Amino acid sequence: MFRGEQAKMSGGEILSTLLASEVRGDLLILFHKNPGLIDTVDGIARRIGRTTITVISDLRELLLLGILRQKRIGTSEVVFLDRARDREILELVANHLKTVQIGGAK
Amino acid sequence: MTTPRSKTGSSEFDQLFSSRIAEGGRVKTGIVELDEMLRGGFMPGDAVMLAGSAGTGKTTLALQFLVNGVKHGEPGIYVTFEELPDQIYRDAKNFGWDLHKMEEEDKFRVICTSPSLVLESGDGSLLDDVLRDIQPRRLVIDSLSHLEMFVKRDDMRMEAYRIVRYLKTHGVSSILLWESPQISGASFSVTDVGLSFLVDCIVALKPVEIESSLRKALVILKMRGSDHDKRFREYEITSTGIKIESAFSNYEGIISGSPRKVASEKFMELFRGASEKHK
Repeated sequence: MFRGEQAKMSGGEILSTLLASEVRGDLLILFHKNPGLIDTVDGIARRIGRTTITVISDLRELLLLGILRQKRIGTSEVVFLDRARDREILELVANHLKTVQIGGAK
Repeated sequence: MTTPRSKTGSSEFDQLFSSRIAEGGRVKTGIVELDEMLRGGFMPGDAVMLAGSAGTGKTTLALQFLVNGVKHGEPGIYVTFEELPDQIYRDAKNFGWDLHKMEEEDKFRVICTSPSLVLESGDGSLLDDVLRDIQPRRLVIDSLSHLEMFVKRDDMRMEAYRIVRYLKTHGVSSILLWESPQISGASFSVTDVGLSFLVDCIVALKPVEIESSLRKALVILKMRGSDHDKRFREYEITSTGIKIESAFSNYEGIISGSPRKVASEKFMELFRGASEKHK
């Protein structure tokens, strides 16, 4: 799935994707607490106390969603937060949650 | 090809160059007493080594330098190799500095990365990206000591030199933190890998024991191309950042960490004691 397709996802679908696993949650917290984090997959895994193998699929999901981006620096592939896309997604999720709350109140 | 000349006779290149110097003046730290010690501030584009042991306030002073830069319209970047940089945001907030807000305004960035990535060179290097993002005028690297763990001892000087030259080429004034276990003795050796000559200025922070209490001393060990205050000045880490106080005028041997009162002061104390007895 391409980033463009992910952009068409609804707030609810995005929220489900974000909360699909504990590792994904840990990654989101890491990048939100440290928005300037730029590191290799190995480095990121170490920062949340996990191994590279256990984080790779969740990192891929966040890359597809566009929250994270990938870039080559010298001989290393690094991952970092796309601040603009992250803001967009947070807005989508926030709007979705508002709708849910309004729906619940009825 | 001739260089275009202005009516006053100087080339446009000269004018451009001199205007940049004039614009620059000194790079103020924003800590009034430190700027006085530096005779106005750091020289523009200089690489400054801020050396000190743990708990001496290196991070606080470096952040204060960046935050005050932002206040004067100079964007700043804090590059950290620490494992938990979110503590930087929290600690800064305790001093009244809202780094998140400055980041939202694209005036500040905390970049958290691995030393090995900073050492990657070539097009599209990490520093290229970092500088392109907000066009900083000030940058802090926390710390060169971490970088040392990723390079061979013999290569450290070359790598540090490359980073210093890169920042200078881009006109960025930098502070490079150095965790020094101790700065003492007659040689004033700050690092044991010979980095002192690579930087333009060295500011050392040092804990000193005076009358059974721990106090802190700041001294400018070196400043290329400028006069500076040579005295050890006491400083404190207050709720608003670093506050520099008076010089340790009645003590000698501050660099040893265990200063003693100067002989004249001892004599004065004896004299005062004797006078009290006669009263």
